[in-house]
Amino acid sequence: MKHVSGALKGEFEPTVRVPTRRALAKQQTRAKVLAAARKLFSESGYEGATIRDIAAAAGMSTGAVFANFTDKSDLFREIMFTDMVTLAEAMREAANRGKTVEDALMRAFTVGYSFYKGQLPLARAAFSVSWSPEEGVELRFSAAAKALRELITEQVQLGVERGELSQEAEVKLRGDMLFDAYLANYPEAIFLGWSLEALQARSKDQIRVILAGARRG
Amino acid sequence: MLSVRKSQKEATRQRVLDAARDLFETQGYEETTVREIARRAEVAVGSVFTTFASKGDILSQVMADRLEELYAELDRVAPHLRGNVADRLRSLFAIHFAFETRRTKLFLAHIAAAYDWTLGPSTRPYGKNPRLRQVIKDCLAEGVARGEIGADQDLDLIVDALMGVYAWTYRLAAWEGADAEEMSAVFDRQVGLLAQGFAPRVAR
Repeated sequence: MKHVSGALKGEFEPTVRVPTRRALAKQQTRAKVLAAARKLFSESGYEGATIRDIAAAAGMSTGAVFANFTDKSDLFREIMFTDMVTLAEAMREAANRGKTVEDALMRAFTVGYSFYKGQLPLARAAFSVSWSPEEGVELRFSAAAKALRELITEQVQLGVERGELSQEAEVKLRGDMLFDAYLANYPEAIFLGWSLEALQARSKDQIRVILAGARRG
Repeated sequence: MLSVRKSQKEATRQRVLDAARDLFETQGYEETTVREIARRAEVAVGSVFTTFASKGDILSQVMADRLEELYAELDRVAPHLRGNVADRLRSLFAIHFAFETRRTKLFLAHIAAAYDWTLGPSTRPYGKNPRLRQVIKDCLAEGVARGEIGADQDLDLIVDALMGVYAWTYRLAAWEGADAEEMSAVFDRQVGLLAQGFAPRVAR
């Protein structure tokens, strides 16, 4: 579970030196703040959780929170990126167990929907942040989003290699369409309370419609 | 007397919406305060709040008014569409891309706000506009009538795929600064891929 694709490592590259006690304490504080923040964001959404609430939940002062994160948005983005990296890994693992391209895509999408289903306010805030022009261009964000897209494209490519899809399947373009369709279903979950089963049924139909052209010789 | 007051209220409303649209586009939605909108519209902050519940409400109204313009454009163009069903779909969506990129920043703010936690449940989720869906579905139905789409196809599913892909194509504008032409070019190819799938099966 621990390996992270190269593009995403960046600043998190572990140092060779053994961390000092102080560095370890700082790391633990960060982890505690992040855990408290995640809980509150998942329950009350981004706007609903204040730094004061987060500090209280983590059992520390607001000053201690600010010593580790510049502001609430910094804290939120840290959680969002960590989630995207973890999710990309889990989705890829699930997809690789699929027997057919459709099966693989369904497994990946199911992991994604299940992950956010229990914390929809967090998902909602994450979509909002990713569409905000100032935040959206951040490098870390595009790298994480790209990794998610790529894992879907990989599965389409595998489908071509196994002979399920034609050689002219336009793998990248079709992969993007599948991922777009997957993302476009989130509003149903967020606003209309769709169940996981309903999301799966919709995804299954969409996969069929998007792959239909590539199944013809 | 009542009608004078009513028309004054309407004029205020319009001035607020115009001011807000300009500020959201030039300096961004997050960065704009209701106070600034009031100043630019030359009305009191209090009278903004007699008409609108919040900044989010103002944005919703700005976008609703803009949609009326988009519908009008679509209605004007729809009867003159030529070519096969894929080409017609491409034209319809090209109008969307061209329209929204006239004020890209405003549109992206609108998408972000659609997920905003603080907005009420009446906010329409992004990409779910029923009237736009209908325009696309009508276009597909004509395609079925002309024999370009298999009669066994579920049109709602195709509309759904098109709208989902359309909605997320704006990521190219948000993250890569793409313009209407670049987005249309990508989308046109994707329409082609879908069209391969919904074309009627050739009897052999």
